[in-house]
Amino acid sequence: MAGPGLSRQPRRGNPPRTTTIPLTVYGRPWCGISQMIRRYLDRMGIPYDYVDLDRDPAAEARLQWLNGGRLRTPMVQVGDQMLVQPTVRDVARALQRRGVTAAR
Amino acid sequence: MASTNGFPRAIHDLEEEFAGLANEIPESPEKRAISLLHGIVMEMWKELRSDGLGDVGALAWPDVGELYRTAPPMEGAAVNEPLPPGTEAPDFALPDPSGETVRLRDLRGRPVVIVFYPLDWSPGCSQQLDLYQQEIDEFRHRDAELLAISVDSLYSHGAWAAVRGLTFPLLADFHPKGEVARDYSVWREDDGFSERALYVLDADGVIQYSHVTPYLHHVPDIYELLEAVDAAAGARV
Repeated sequence: MAGPGLSRQPRRGNPPRTTTIPLTVYGRPWCGISQMIRRYLDRMGIPYDYVDLDRDPAAEARLQWLNGGRLRTPMVQVGDQMLVQPTVRDVARALQRRGVTAAR
Repeated sequence: MASTNGFPRAIHDLEEEFAGLANEIPESPEKRAISLLHGIVMEMWKELRSDGLGDVGALAWPDVGELYRTAPPMEGAAVNEPLPPGTEAPDFALPDPSGETVRLRDLRGRPVVIVFYPLDWSPGCSQQLDLYQQEIDEFRHRDAELLAISVDSLYSHGAWAAVRGLTFPLLADFHPKGEVARDYSVWREDDGFSERALYVLDADGVIQYSHVTPYLHHVPDIYELLEAVDAAAGARV
């Protein structure tokens, strides 16, 4: 699953470097939490992929499989971690742990 | 165990392999059982994170503000059509949680967003109004007044607003119950509460945008709403 490139802060003492992590929001246009997370990422200038599960049955089926048929939206992939119906704060912390910073 | 960004690499690899097996297992009770077991694992990960393990802060329990997450769902198809754009918005005067009366016609001169929602404390309404609070600066930047209306009492509104940190007015369409919702064609007689509906008025009090969500648990698209506010702001001649 390809994700957009995200800027990371360099570790102290190391030369500046850039790496990428995948960031994907699997949501629905009528889901309030999906909208909150998308708006948060928009405002922070953090690029992400958005998968509308109402329009992508294959992605929906895959997430249904992972969740025992009880898919709750959104699911947010941050790097190699999949967050199930996270809050904005959960996403912010997952990004912070990976050193992802706002673009603006 | 090697790890990546604090998330165990071994689990990540197992997740990848598990996901790839889905299409290789024929539909059967066994496949269903395996999927359910994985769902349990996903839930346990979520619980571990929210219990404050690692660097995530612990929540006090019971956290009243989070009760909506386990509350009964509110579902059902819409039964009303909203008033159409071009209609003059019916005036109303309703109390806010402080007991002050908010009269619609006093707000002429700027766009007004009226949010009809079914009930305080319910799942969809908590998410919807949290979203508007998160985006409150977007409404302010557009000089738009945001009003939310339900049939709950002003006391319920006050408590709910405090718990959720809502700073825009919640108005009580409490007595006669749902009178304003009826005026705006969004009253659900069989349920005793309103549709989830939006109206955007221009500075002259004319409806420029109206929307009833097709299902009660659907939260209207915030991107579309902000576009409607922009359009209403430019609609005045």
